[in-house]
Amino acid sequence: MPLLLHNLQPLHWSIAGVGIAAVTLSLMLLANRRLGISTGFEDVCSLVLSQPYFRRDAVIGGRRWRLPLLAGLLLGGFLSAVTGGGWSPTWSLGMLDTALALGPMGKLAWMFVGGLFIGFGTRMAGGCTSGHGIFGLSNGEWPSLLSTLSFMGGGILTTQFVYRVLLG
Amino acid sequence: MTLLYLALGTLFGFVLSRSGAADYDYIQGMFLFERFQLYGIIGTAVALTAPGLWLIKRRGVTLRGRPITIELKPQHRGNVSGGILFGIGWSIAGMCPGPILVNIGEGKLYALGALAGAMVGAALFGVLYPVLQAPLQMPPLKVGPGEG
Repeated sequence: MPLLLHNLQPLHWSIAGVGIAAVTLSLMLLANRRLGISTGFEDVCSLVLSQPYFRRDAVIGGRRWRLPLLAGLLLGGFLSAVTGGGWSPTWSLGMLDTALALGPMGKLAWMFVGGLFIGFGTRMAGGCTSGHGIFGLSNGEWPSLLSTLSFMGGGILTTQFVYRVLLG
Repeated sequence: MTLLYLALGTLFGFVLSRSGAADYDYIQGMFLFERFQLYGIIGTAVALTAPGLWLIKRRGVTLRGRPITIELKPQHRGNVSGGILFGIGWSIAGMCPGPILVNIGEGKLYALGALAGAMVGAALFGVLYPVLQAPLQMPPLKVGPGEG
């Protein structure tokens, strides 16, 4: 199945897995940093919020490395589009377009709701797919196994409900 | 060092973009058990990172000789309840935190809605931490729920 991005053929899963492992191990071997993305949301929040939660050492001290990492993700997506057929803004949303023809405002609202769960849930869990799923599991951490099973379960139940019951 | 983080983030973002990890249909395909792609990606990444980390910890220092210190994530009730909430969001948006940024970089405009939601969600959690800490048995504020 081609990607939504310019109908490109995706990398083989093993190649992508090697790439992600290379990034994770490089962060540790070169800079003693544990891969994690969702804490970066707190870092961004901390630029404007002053509650004690956003003044923790883990947040303030992490900004100088996590913010460039996050900027890299934006740049990586941009370069992928540029080298894969050119950068052009799009609202294309695949299966959701087929099942439910939402306009731009509807899509933004749909995504905002998803984002709320992502932002709140990842912080409550103490990590996301990268920090718990990739790094935590690789490091044999019990809370990461619990979290990974929980977010896989939550995702499976939700998608099964949305596409097999609600819109099916 | 800033350039190193930017470069590693860029490589990470490029791989996420081209692998299906930042693709709405591939995420739904994973949760519908119709596509193996994402399971293969995560499985390969963990299968390689685990022995790699073991070797790095055994070595004990970074390439520049600084000691390796891996801060473990704390265990608390939020691991499961927060995980479930995040899973629901991952399914709705079809992207997890990294791919939100990757999708914006690609030009998928709807991902801006996911970013706004994630920022508000994270902010809400931070503001509510003093209230949630006891019922979820989370560490004191100084430590937080875990980095990652």
